[in-house]
Amino acid sequence: MVRCILSIIISVAIVTVGAIYENLFIHNAFDNFHTMLYNVEEKLQNENATTEDIYAVQKYWLSKKRILHAFIPHTEIKEIDLWISEAIIYTKNKNYKEAEGKIEVCLELSEQIPNNFKIKFENLF
Amino acid sequence: MVIIFIRAVILLFTLIVVMRLMGKRQIGEMQPYEFIITLLIAELACVPMSDVSIPLIYGIISVLAVFILHQLLTIFEHISKNFKHLISGKPSIVINKNGVDILELKRNNLGVDDLIESLRITGNYSLDSVQYALYEANGKLSVLENENITVKSLPVLFVAEGKIDKHNLTLCKLNENYILNLLKNQNITKLKNVEVLTIDGNGKVYLKEKNKPYKNFFVKLGDETKKW
Repeated sequence: MVRCILSIIISVAIVTVGAIYENLFIHNAFDNFHTMLYNVEEKLQNENATTEDIYAVQKYWLSKKRILHAFIPHTEIKEIDLWISEAIIYTKNKNYKEAEGKIEVCLELSEQIPNNFKIKFENLF
Repeated sequence: MVIIFIRAVILLFTLIVVMRLMGKRQIGEMQPYEFIITLLIAELACVPMSDVSIPLIYGIISVLAVFILHQLLTIFEHISKNFKHLISGKPSIVINKNGVDILELKRNNLGVDDLIESLRITGNYSLDSVQYALYEANGKLSVLENENITVKSLPVLFVAEGKIDKHNLTLCKLNENYILNLLKNQNITKLKNVEVLTIDGNGKVYLKEKNKPYKNFFVKLGDETKKW
């Protein structure tokens, strides 16, 4: 009985700590990512964005994605990787409209992915 | 390939730890909920093991969640007997001093032929060769044997729950009239009142009427009847 109760306490503690860490890390990472993307999108709209701006977003994303792999499906991470890479190429070619479209998709994903971790009816069922 | 191998090793290790902590018994001795949990855990571990696009933590947390539920159920089972009966079920006595208890069999979604089959597995070939038979919560049949009875011939089921088994009648070269006459001699006019009727090759009859204790008696089997 003691072992049983102890194992429950330890397991619940692991799950709770894991859930809190996951929630904080994901929301923090995606909030910052979202802000960076938003700033880049504004610059793209004003047609004064440089590849350095997108590289900065990519650098931030690469620094966070290593840990994010533990929590979110790898396909979603790969999707963001590809959209950012495309945005870099379009910005390099001064095709701001296309680049803006790619960044817009990244913005949408940066809102959707953390939402998947919220306890909501649509996420549960 | 190496990734899948490492993921499999991590999940297998998690499963071994979880199963050891659960104090898992052998498959045949599992309670119903333990069986479900084992099936679930196997499936939960399988998907992230082979699909590298799913984070490994999804599998580990699911297994951990099932483990927590298992441990909670185990504790509640120890605390409350009613809860244990609700979750795991309770043993049901299907043969008592009065013979086969059809109602109890029906409560467990079983028939007389299922009971006879289970009895044969325990090495008891006749319904009167056991004093008590219980279906345990894990589905196994436990019997208290009647040491005074020795079975010399295989009893065959001819009537179960008011219905004649025509296949067995043909096999033993008997007919419906033979059974109906046999019942008439026992003052039974309605076939539906007969819960169980078996006859062995020596003519020994086991008859269980509705709401009455079972009877054993001998009948003469005709010369043309195949002795079994």
